[in-house]
Amino acid sequence: MSEGMLIRTKLIRTRAIVVDTFREAFARKIFWGLFVLSTLMILFFLFLMRIDIVQGAMATISLFGMQTGNEINLARLVKQTEAGIATFLYTWGMFLAVFASAGLIPSVLEPGRIELLLSKPVSRRHLLLGRYLGNVLIVGLNVAYLVLGVWLILALKTGIWHPEFLVAIPSTMFLFAVLLALVVLIGVLLESTALAVMIPVGIMIISPILAQSKIANLLSGEFTRFLWKAMYHALPKVYDIGKITLDFVMDKHVESFTPVWTSAAFGTIVLVAAIHIFEKRDF
Amino acid sequence: MSVFAIETRSLGKLYRSRWSGKEVHAVNDVTLQVERGTTFGLLGPNGAGKTTFVKMLLSAVHPTTGEARIFGSDARIPSSRIPIGYLPENHRFPTYLTGYAMLDFYAALSGMDSKPRRKRIPELLELVGLAEWGDVRLRKYSKGMLQRVGLAQALMHDPALLILDEPSDGVDPVGRRHIRDILQSLEERGVTIFLNSHLLVEVEAFCRDVAILNKGRVALQGKVRELTAGKGYRLTVPAAMPGNLHAAVSASASACTPRDGVVDLQYADRAAVNLAIDMLRREQVEIEALAPTVSTLEDIFIRSVEGGSANV
Repeated sequence: MSEGMLIRTKLIRTRAIVVDTFREAFARKIFWGLFVLSTLMILFFLFLMRIDIVQGAMATISLFGMQTGNEINLARLVKQTEAGIATFLYTWGMFLAVFASAGLIPSVLEPGRIELLLSKPVSRRHLLLGRYLGNVLIVGLNVAYLVLGVWLILALKTGIWHPEFLVAIPSTMFLFAVLLALVVLIGVLLESTALAVMIPVGIMIISPILAQSKIANLLSGEFTRFLWKAMYHALPKVYDIGKITLDFVMDKHVESFTPVWTSAAFGTIVLVAAIHIFEKRDF
Repeated sequence: MSVFAIETRSLGKLYRSRWSGKEVHAVNDVTLQVERGTTFGLLGPNGAGKTTFVKMLLSAVHPTTGEARIFGSDARIPSSRIPIGYLPENHRFPTYLTGYAMLDFYAALSGMDSKPRRKRIPELLELVGLAEWGDVRLRKYSKGMLQRVGLAQALMHDPALLILDEPSDGVDPVGRRHIRDILQSLEERGVTIFLNSHLLVEVEAFCRDVAILNKGRVALQGKVRELTAGKGYRLTVPAAMPGNLHAAVSASASACTPRDGVVDLQYADRAAVNLAIDMLRREQVEIEALAPTVSTLEDIFIRSVEGGSANV
């Protein structure tokens, strides 16, 4: 088989795995659930949040037809609203995405289904990465829809085009991809949907606590301090990446991108481990 | 290219319990050759290691010893599975897919382009008698229908080797006949068919070659025609016979089985049974019955599994 044919065949297979992941997400109402939620938020900004521009750069906001208060700076209003959306994506949005995706890996490992998949001329790595890619795309499309929708509505209502907000799309997808690597590892290792949700959500919860260096300095024991810092450096930094995104959105200076690299390293190592375990397992 | 569709050398799978360290040889030192274009039946009691053996051919289970080859290629390499069409036992096809989408998905995984897929799917749905069901989700299918669409899935990319695990499971007699007809037409086209079935009659009627697996080892392997060629005669006579007559007629019999006041004597050929009849009639012993016998695959299977090798 020529090199070109080989690549073409690989693409056919990858597309098939990704499309199958989407079909399963549709059937489980995962995609539509996230889509409806995003649509509701977009509709909120479209119809229920009314911005009246007064004196050029100032505005008043009314929610559900009620005035919220004094005139505020329009540019600050846009940034704060976008920061609110970004915060939502990093907290509840991420939780929902992990919760919705957790079952999509164990489901392909079910007896009777996995044997048939493995009987096809596809490497196990290809199967797992295709499924992973499909999951990232499902969440990515929803995040892009929400962020672009809100961004457009705010821009059209205020006349302020603030593209920095769009960084929330890749940054949310990146963080989800890191957490999904952990979901995949747990799925492959334990085939437990419950644990595949609990552990990444646990990391999301402890991440803001671990990020507080003040707490680490208050710890009395040397070993405890070391353990705290080791956990902080080893685990994905949900809080820090969220803060970087917010700094971007609020046009603030980003102090360090180290949390991005270390989280990427975590995701890569965990995904490689998941592939290794999947390749060695008997089904 | 190898003359064998499937070839295994000292293939083995040892399962070891993580906690107790207890070891189980699911498959032990299996050397097997399946010729191209043949119909091969793999038989064995429950727990004999048949499914583990098949899974090692497909690389779903990693062997602990030996090797398996598909048309000469190492079975561990994904490309070795290009010529394989497989229908697993207790399959669980994604029920959110329609019959059409399921065939499309697995064919794409086999590397088929979209144009030939679109052409092949209606043909195969027609072949397995599900032409009207292509747009219906699999959750609405009966077990027999799932089995038939599963067979269509295995045939999508026109495989040279078909591995079927209990293909008639859950299928009614008409459907079973239909499946057999499809398999026969594939055999005529030179497709190698590897059948893992507990239905001995099905294997005997369809397969040219057979292997019996017992406790993870090959207990017997050969051509079905040769294995079942143990023709002879069964003579049934009263248990009570005068003098040394019983000893005399039993001496030339290959088997002697007493039951309910009579004795079944098995003779290998016509001359031997006629000699016994002459002796019996001379003493005016009445013959209860005389019948020609043929060894069935079931006889051979039971003899192989219950200890000794089949003596046919």
